[in-house]
Amino acid sequence: MFSVSTEHAIGLVAGLVAIPVALLLLPRQKAWRDATATVKGAAVLMMATAAVHLALVGHHTQGEPLTAALFVVNGILFIALSFSVGWRHWRLASSAMLVATILGYVVYVVAGLEGPDQVGLATKLVELTALGLVLVPVRGERRPSHRSIRWTGLGVAMPVLLVTTNASLWIVDLVRPDARHIHAGAVLQSTNAVATQRQLDAANELYRETQASIAPYSDWHRAWAAGYRPGGSQTMPSTHWMNQRFVDAGYVMDPQHPQGLVYANTKHGPVLLGAMFQMKRIGEFGPDAGGPVTAWHQHENICFTPLGLEFSLMTPTATCPLGAISISAPPMLHVWIVDNPGGPFAVDFDAKVLKKIDQS
Amino acid sequence: MQSLFWLIAGLSAAPFVLGGEAFMAALALASLLLALATLLIGIGILWRRRRARAFAIALEVVCLLGSALLLLLPIGSNKGPVSLLVNVALPIAVIVLLRKDPNNPFS
Repeated sequence: MFSVSTEHAIGLVAGLVAIPVALLLLPRQKAWRDATATVKGAAVLMMATAAVHLALVGHHTQGEPLTAALFVVNGILFIALSFSVGWRHWRLASSAMLVATILGYVVYVVAGLEGPDQVGLATKLVELTALGLVLVPVRGERRPSHRSIRWTGLGVAMPVLLVTTNASLWIVDLVRPDARHIHAGAVLQSTNAVATQRQLDAANELYRETQASIAPYSDWHRAWAAGYRPGGSQTMPSTHWMNQRFVDAGYVMDPQHPQGLVYANTKHGPVLLGAMFQMKRIGEFGPDAGGPVTAWHQHENICFTPLGLEFSLMTPTATCPLGAISISAPPMLHVWIVDNPGGPFAVDFDAKVLKKIDQS
Repeated sequence: MQSLFWLIAGLSAAPFVLGGEAFMAALALASLLLALATLLIGIGILWRRRRARAFAIALEVVCLLGSALLLLLPIGSNKGPVSLLVNVALPIAVIVLLRKDPNNPFS
């Protein structure tokens, strides 16, 4: 959802190019001079969205002829509307077209015919803005009509469409993540599909060495003495304890110097679950000795709050709760020394096992 | 639209509050209050309240500065087209629309 699909990148370029072209061509129509700034703005935005749809026709022609045909019709109609701002039924036609296009995209994404990406989302935002500009009554309109209906339409359509689009795309993205998005916000390192014997041996070696080196930290006092400090709320089921000295030193997957330890927060005190290796820079994945078994993961687009070191996920419209900032964490690799159904190098520790540890 | 963005951001924190992130509750509440304040500022602008216009411009300037800081710092902040539209283009558009100009329908 937060990446630009390769096939859709051309749409983004076309949309950007269409804006100056629209500003050059649209003023040539007769009714342009009498149109309000809102109408002009909406016409320019509709030209941009038309260009995005038309640029994507080529990609869809091969496998999805119906989608390609819909994109052609959509593009032509938006261009026609942009060039007819003086038309009596322009507002009604434009609103209907914009609403249908936005809802059409949501249906496509929910049905799995299209994956949510930045080009689709940005286009929907442009269309929503255009819809707002089409509906909003302003001073200086030539035919100020149906003001109360337009206000009502604006007050209903904008929140309903924005929330529906956001919620649908987010749910689809979480329910149907792509192969490299193992869980919300985490992107897996790209590896070979099946581990070779050499990779399995390397993974076992890493596990044994790490298990032996962090065994003393079963007593959290010793971890504290070594410089590890809890990096978050103790009310959560588990907490990462980080050693800033090891983070700054930039050790790379060194079993003697893991950058973090993970403790379960139980009623008997912290219980050691495993270690965490972390790279220094965003986007630089660590050595993948165990192939798919020890693939690193990087948390992207998380909303991080220094207040209590907690986090949430960035919304599809790229916003975080007030006081939280959108960040990406450098790649990390966990080594779980307590039995974990997902395996000793899984991205997450199993919540049910964690609950059992707390109750034991 | 901005009010809705903050409303969604505030609501998005709720599942994490239920998961035990106590401080997130404060941020969620703050976001919802900001969403409400933005909505009221929007209504104030429609009613042509001078103070609402000043508040809106101040809010957008703060948003722009915050976004610029996030985009410039090497913290892996999202720099996708949606982020640029919502956090940069939208505040600029609001400031431009609120400028004092007799030909501007929103001024």
